[in-house]
Amino acid sequence: MIKLLGAVLILFAGTLIGFQQAARFAARPRQLRQLAHALQRLETEIGYGHTPLPEALGRIATVVPSPIADLFLLAAEGVAHDDGLSFRESWEQAMKQGWEATAMRAGEQAVMLRLGSALGISDKDDQLKHLKLALLQLKAEEDAAKEDQGRYEKMWKSLGVLIAVLVVILMV
Amino acid sequence: MLNRVVHLLPLELKAVLEKLPETALAQLEEIRIREGRPLELGLRGQSRFAGTDGTLRMTADGAYKPTGDICRKLLERITNYSLYAMEEELKRGFITVAGGHRIGLAGRTVLDSGSVRGIRDIGAFNIRIAREVIGSANHLLPKLLDRSRKSIYSTLILAPPQQGKTTLVRDLARSISYGLWGQGEGAGWQGRKVGVVDERSEIAACVRGIPTFDIGPRTDVMDACPKAEGIMMLLRSMSPEIVVADEIGRDEDGEAIREASHAGVSVVATAHAYDVQDALGRPVLRRLLEDGSFQQIVELRRTTAGFMHRIISAESAIRSPAAREPTAVLTAASTSTFRRSGADPAPVESGLQRGGAT
Repeated sequence: MIKLLGAVLILFAGTLIGFQQAARFAARPRQLRQLAHALQRLETEIGYGHTPLPEALGRIATVVPSPIADLFLLAAEGVAHDDGLSFRESWEQAMKQGWEATAMRAGEQAVMLRLGSALGISDKDDQLKHLKLALLQLKAEEDAAKEDQGRYEKMWKSLGVLIAVLVVILMV
Repeated sequence: MLNRVVHLLPLELKAVLEKLPETALAQLEEIRIREGRPLELGLRGQSRFAGTDGTLRMTADGAYKPTGDICRKLLERITNYSLYAMEEELKRGFITVAGGHRIGLAGRTVLDSGSVRGIRDIGAFNIRIAREVIGSANHLLPKLLDRSRKSIYSTLILAPPQQGKTTLVRDLARSISYGLWGQGEGAGWQGRKVGVVDERSEIAACVRGIPTFDIGPRTDVMDACPKAEGIMMLLRSMSPEIVVADEIGRDEDGEAIREASHAGVSVVATAHAYDVQDALGRPVLRRLLEDGSFQQIVELRRTTAGFMHRIISAESAIRSPAAREPTAVLTAASTSTFRRSGADPAPVESGLQRGGAT
């Protein structure tokens, strides 16, 4: 009886781990797409609205879902507090703190960090160029992420169950 | 005065300024920051350099020198981390921040087919701390009353930079708007609708269209709007009885003011000029005075004792600039004399009478 219960537990845990890994692969392209949407929105705010950066980031945070929105909120908060951070420092801090909660990887983080070092310090045309470049790079990452998703998502889902089954068989 | 702009300053700069003696900070009017060069302060018209140890120096030796990093941080803060949103301001060479403080910028200009498109490599900042002096027009306003219309005459206020023109017109707008015409015959009159064209955002210091200075309950502000267009827009849309504009000087400003004053609207405007003769040397001002767009001229001076006004009727100024009546009024009790520059070398002693505007 106890053996059966243990086997069920192992199967359950294995399946869960597999699904969680698969979910990470599914989440990455989705979050990359949301990030791209956010940057497009920023493009509009800068290009047409001339909205000041902290306010623009706050607005973006209201239209994209949570782990992505938090990145922008953190960056806006960093300059709102009076601790002498420059925008680049605040942005870097936000990208490092908030990144943990997302399914995104180092490649896209590097894109965002590069963007942060250019945001706010030049005229409109230059800002839009930097945003376009970042969007292109994110697009490339998104394509790669989709490929990974197709390849690994199903694999992880079945792999979790199969490994759990293997462990159960070995134990019996 | 420092606490009004301290939120704009990078921490290092703030630390240096906060070490200065209280009395000096109370007199602070300008903070001039130049990259790699001594930090200069303007204290009631006097120039001093700030040392790292909280001393004020007459000479630049041993004064604190802001680094390039501090200047970049300062620029970020005054532009709200958004240089791209400040293109118009950079073209004009200054930024007005919340509270009405004006920050002048200098650096390498970017040209676009011969005209200035903006400034990059900004290496010098001049933070002018705005001050709202409620009641600064109290002594002047009763002298400008137009009894027949229960309003104010069209008035041109002349003074060199840094003499308190903006402070004065702001208080005039406020008083007229509230209906605070002072003691005497104006006492019972009601307030008038005032339209302010605030091209430099200095009179009302609007933040997102809402004035941060008290400019009265009957006042509408056209913020960051070119004066000529703003005056016409206000005339068409807000039916003002008095239009207030700061620092007129271009041809189109003159056109708009002429239009307004002949539409029965009183215009209160300021211009950079040392005195009436100086103003008559500027074609736009001369034409405005000649065709009667302004009925009165106020020369403004700031002395150590306070503001001094001299009211001259436009008619007499045009007729014989040299022989105008010296009707000066002191807002602060003082016995300073009021000298005039120009061709006439003899200083004109001003009467200190409080009534009898010409």
